[in-house]
Amino acid sequence: MNLTESIRVALDSISSNLLRSILTTLGIMIGIMAVIAVVAVGQGGQQTIMKEMDKFGSNLFQIMLDWRRDEPPTGNEFTMQDLEIIKTNVPELKYLLPCASSYSQIKKGSQTKTAQILGTEADYARLHPLDITAGRFLTNSDCQSRRRVAVIDEEMAQELFPRDNPLGKRILIGNQSLIICGLVKSDSSPLALGTKYVYIPIRVWLDIYPEGNISYIEGSTRNLEDITLAMQNSIKILEKRHRNEDIYQGVDMEQQIKAVNKVTGVMTLVIGIIAGFSLLVGGIGVMNIMLVSVTERTREIGLRMALGARRRDILLQFLIEAVVLCLLGGIIGMVLGIGCAFLIAALAKWPPLISWTTILLAFAFSATIGIIFGILPANQAANMDPIEALRRD
Amino acid sequence: MIKMEHIHKVYRPQSNPVNALQDVNLHIKTGDFVAVMGPSGSGKSTLMNVMGCLDTASSGTYWLGGVEVSSMNSDQLAAIRNRKIGFVFQNYNLLPRMNALLNVELPMLYAGIDKEERSSRALDCIGRVGMLNRLHHRPSELSGGQCQRIAIARALVNSPDIILADEPTGNLDSVTSEEIMSIFQSLHQEGHTIVLVTHENDIAAYASRILLFRDGRLNSDEVLSPSPRTIPNLVMNGDAL
Ligand SMILES: Nc1ncnc2c1ncn2[C@@H]1O[C@H](COP(=O)(O)OP(=O)(O)O)[C@@H](O)[C@H]1O
Ligand SMILES: [Mg+2]
Repeated sequence: MNLTESIRVALDSISSNLLRSILTTLGIMIGIMAVIAVVAVGQGGQQTIMKEMDKFGSNLFQIMLDWRRDEPPTGNEFTMQDLEIIKTNVPELKYLLPCASSYSQIKKGSQTKTAQILGTEADYARLHPLDITAGRFLTNSDCQSRRRVAVIDEEMAQELFPRDNPLGKRILIGNQSLIICGLVKSDSSPLALGTKYVYIPIRVWLDIYPEGNISYIEGSTRNLEDITLAMQNSIKILEKRHRNEDIYQGVDMEQQIKAVNKVTGVMTLVIGIIAGFSLLVGGIGVMNIMLVSVTERTREIGLRMALGARRRDILLQFLIEAVVLCLLGGIIGMVLGIGCAFLIAALAKWPPLISWTTILLAFAFSATIGIIFGILPANQAANMDPIEALRRD
Repeated sequence: MIKMEHIHKVYRPQSNPVNALQDVNLHIKTGDFVAVMGPSGSGKSTLMNVMGCLDTASSGTYWLGGVEVSSMNSDQLAAIRNRKIGFVFQNYNLLPRMNALLNVELPMLYAGIDKEERSSRALDCIGRVGMLNRLHHRPSELSGGQCQRIAIARALVNSPDIILADEPTGNLDSVTSEEIMSIFQSLHQEGHTIVLVTHENDIAAYASRILLFRDGRLNSDEVLSPSPRTIPNLVMNGDAL
């Protein structure tokens, strides 16, 4: 008996007990579904984060306050002088800039909108891939002479000035009136969660928010190899100047990538274990139903043997049936899993990543479960005594 | 064709042994039509199982078509059952989920015959038992007599050396039994070798030779004069159904 015939017989027997077959493969379905969905969403998320980090360039670092410290921040941890001193003492640095941000209101006439107001310097545009679509970004002279200018993103511009050209128009942030000097493309990445941005010179920001302070500093080096050294030296200078040993924390992109990979790794492991158990339970279910099927079809087995089936033909028939059963469960699980992945991804607003490797692995997994848990029932069928089997009813 | 020497079959040799066959010596020639008779429990089915290579004798030698069967392994026995033997059972043993055509094709699947030849040979055999008008019916949609015709077609499909039928009319009424027996009779006339178990004299009368078993022993071996019966020809074409 050849393979196609065996598969036909298997499908026939499965469809003759369709409900039972579907219930049997439920465990496998759920296992495969979970794996596919989680892997797809996880890999999609990881890819999104990686893309985001790639945008920064991997020789970017940030120094911020250690969020694990006990005492609340004084607001004096980063000053403009700190930056000047670090710049002159750490020669590896290419750029170093302060960042201060607040999520607050922007007014235009009677209209009020909210946005992330980021106070920084001209070099910000060199560390981040901003796409200037009109006008210009902040310049060094804007920053040095505290010019009241702002760069806003297109979405914000659209909301504030749906009809007019926003360049040269005035907006009110806090008590300061600023002139829009440039537009940037909005951050469309899913991680931005639709936040709108307004960029203003850091000194202007500090004027607007006298209580506020620089929340972190960003820098980059000429050479990638120097990044850790430059970051550590910068932190040392800060610690010395502020006589505080453990309030600063530096991260470079390499570290963040590692951290993301670690999180996804742990997640994959946990899901892997859950899916593993589900598949194990599913496999036992398949074995159970195959044993039932073998018992029910004892006479058929005897007849096939009388008509010339060898033991291995019978073994193969039932093994193929178990594999087909598991593959069907696997395919249904896969379809459901892909559906779930798209659903979750739609809610989380990032694209799921369904790779061929995942799908092939799921197939291979289902088939392997079929073989492992089908071998016992198939063997039982193949070792029947044809006379005994024929006499059964 | 078949030669048995000192065949013994003991069931449950350890505890409470049953001597189902005792010192059976037998010779069946090609073209014989043998009826095996005897009371219930006399070993008829056991003999058929040994002859059909479904079971092996406890001792003695058994030649089938010049081959010594006792020493064969299970794969070789399967091949012999597949190609040299056609079984017909009392309860037909058709697979319920397959239609008549597929049931008849089944032995050819295990002979590795390709699809086209399978269906052409199956159609040929189904034609010989007059069932071409029921090809796509399942066993549950056929009468007992029709099922047995399909089972006979299945037994013929690999052109076996010998047809073994264990009480093939046991579940049928007398009219249908006669129809089935006339099929066997015409197969005999075409030159098939047939061994058929029955405990009815009317049925045994179709045979050319009668073996009588009692308590596992071959009690008598009687060759009948050529059958006085004539086969009603209409039974061989499907219209008679
Ligand atoms: N599998 C078995 N185990 C034990 N005894 C058996 C078995 N099969 C048949 N027998 C016994 O062997 C004897 C012959 O049985 P069988 O060949 O079936 O008789 P028949 O077909 O002539 O009625 C009977 O006594 C029966 O009880
Ligand atoms: Mg019997």
